[in-house]
Amino acid sequence: MSETSMKRHMGLRASRTLANTLIYILLIAISIIWLIPFFCIVLQSFRVESTWQVGYVAPKVWGLDNYQKLFATDFPRWYMNTFIISVFTALLQTVIVLCMSYTLSRFRFKMRKPLMRFMLILGMFPGMLTMIILYRVLKDLGLTQANAVPGLILVYVASSGMGYYVSKGFFDTIPKSLDEAARVDGATRFQVLRKIILPLSKPIVIYTVLTAFMGPWGDYVFARYISFGASAGMNVAVGLYNWLTPDQINNNYTLFCAGGVLVAIPVTLLFLFLQKYYVEGVTGGAVKG
Amino acid sequence: MASVKLTDVKKIYDNKVTAVHDFNLEIKDKEFVVFVGPSGCGKSTTLRMIAGLEDISEGTLEIDGEVVNDLQPKDRNIAMVFQNYALYPHMTVYDNIAFSLRLKKMPEDEIYERVTNAAQILGITEYLTRKPRALSGGQRQRVAIGRAMVRNAKVFLMDEPLSNLDAKLRNQMRAEIILLRQKLDTTFIYVTHDQTEAMTLGDRIVIMKDGFIEQVGTPQEVFDTPVNLFVAGFIGSPQMNFLKANLVKEGSGYTVDVLGVKLPLNEDQIAVLTQKGVGSQEIILGVRPEHTSVLFDNQEGAIECTIDVNEMMGSELHLHLSSQNDDKIIVRLPTVDLTKEQRASLAYGNKMYITFPAKVMHLFDPATERSLIDG
Repeated sequence: MSETSMKRHMGLRASRTLANTLIYILLIAISIIWLIPFFCIVLQSFRVESTWQVGYVAPKVWGLDNYQKLFATDFPRWYMNTFIISVFTALLQTVIVLCMSYTLSRFRFKMRKPLMRFMLILGMFPGMLTMIILYRVLKDLGLTQANAVPGLILVYVASSGMGYYVSKGFFDTIPKSLDEAARVDGATRFQVLRKIILPLSKPIVIYTVLTAFMGPWGDYVFARYISFGASAGMNVAVGLYNWLTPDQINNNYTLFCAGGVLVAIPVTLLFLFLQKYYVEGVTGGAVKG
Repeated sequence: MASVKLTDVKKIYDNKVTAVHDFNLEIKDKEFVVFVGPSGCGKSTTLRMIAGLEDISEGTLEIDGEVVNDLQPKDRNIAMVFQNYALYPHMTVYDNIAFSLRLKKMPEDEIYERVTNAAQILGITEYLTRKPRALSGGQRQRVAIGRAMVRNAKVFLMDEPLSNLDAKLRNQMRAEIILLRQKLDTTFIYVTHDQTEAMTLGDRIVIMKDGFIEQVGTPQEVFDTPVNLFVAGFIGSPQMNFLKANLVKEGSGYTVDVLGVKLPLNEDQIAVLTQKGVGSQEIILGVRPEHTSVLFDNQEGAIECTIDVNEMMGSELHLHLSSQNDDKIIVRLPTVDLTKEQRASLAYGNKMYITFPAKVMHLFDPATERSLIDG
């Protein structure tokens, strides 16, 4: 390498290092801004000396009082409600979405395309539009207020077939001849889905489960509306928010923070374990094959 | 082991395109039948209808005397090998081969026996624990064949199984399929676009074009007596030479007038033409490259040509010739009997003479494209 080209090479390298450094500084700054609220909430949840909002971050007296107090409230009930709703929704929604996607990917039937277009358009309307009529229907079925848990599961699961896009896209990339080979080998359509397609679609299955779990876990609007003030039917989001109303906030602010931390834990764990698949799941269908 | 009978089978797609027209064929038990034709001729569609992967629009399909039109593929007791192998990527070779047996809930020790046995026949024993992606194309195709083998299915369907392999491997696998066929001794239906595969593998060949059957026969029959121009051109490599000619009726005999020479026909040909009452008419004369006689000097009945290209194939020469009317003719000439002088004379631009013996001439009607003698 000549001296000039060597110099240029070094120059390029230096400028690349500089660019990378700047990018990292920016990213770190953004992460800090992002993480500060979480960090504050965690710290507040350990504050024992007062229960209202204060002008400082680090607690003066540390303790687990807030967490202990949580168990004397309706919080365990809300937590359980949320958990049940999320688990059932995740299971049912996953089954429905995967079956729907497989059907739309592999079967050819009349009205298939119009149906897909119809669902696409329908999905553009916000779900809130249906709220009033949904409440009437659920009330007639006796699934509101204290019985909101099954009602909410029904609401979350009912329209889940419309979320077929991502997994159908993924299934479309799996060669059809695999289905055909399996069918000739003696498999039913369901066995093809279970033994061939799903094992090949692990990332997308996990993605579907995760999104189906996350939706109800953090939902506020529907949960609030359908539980309609009955504490026994609330989920964590609704229950915790009640502690932030002007007459409650001074007594319950640190309690709210402790609840928030507990709500975040399962989701964080889930993501940590499944993160690898999650990323693959979102991008996998796009480039494979 | 079973017979397969297709009666007036049709495939009409939703967009009203007819892919297969009135397909009639009876395949005997243990017969090896090859569907051959250019792409889009309906051969794969027909095979997929037999497999149950495509609906049959009209007509009936019987396997072993039972109408199976509405049976699911899994209930037809057929095995199939796909062009792209269609191995299950998440399973090992062993699991791939065992898949159908497990679906049947066969005991594991019997599965083990069948899988290892098949693997031994196909020479893939050492790969049983590998996943398909760790195999070469040829090995994958063996696994695909193994998967079909272990099932002891009534009918063995193969959809262009060798098309994805390179030429050398294809020849090797072709020989192995012949061996396999002898071992399995079952009914085979094989789809290919390669006439060499069709000729070497089939007991009978079904030549298709545009959804129609053009001719059904043994390899020898379709080679010797093609019933129309398409079959004549499709079977044989290099393909048959076609020349404009005139059939001339003179008294009770016939001669062929081609490129300025008069060539006689033999008694059998004359008998057929007389019986059909064919008069003098324009014809298309077909002669295979290997049936063309090469003369090194001008004799009676010799056609003068110029050599355009001389391809040395080792055991034979492929000579590309132009007639004086600029008709292109290809000649296959075995090299073994040629003298040094003769070889030297077969150079670019040189003149040479050819002629066509009566028994190798195929006469086709230009209007109907059908053979005037065969079929």
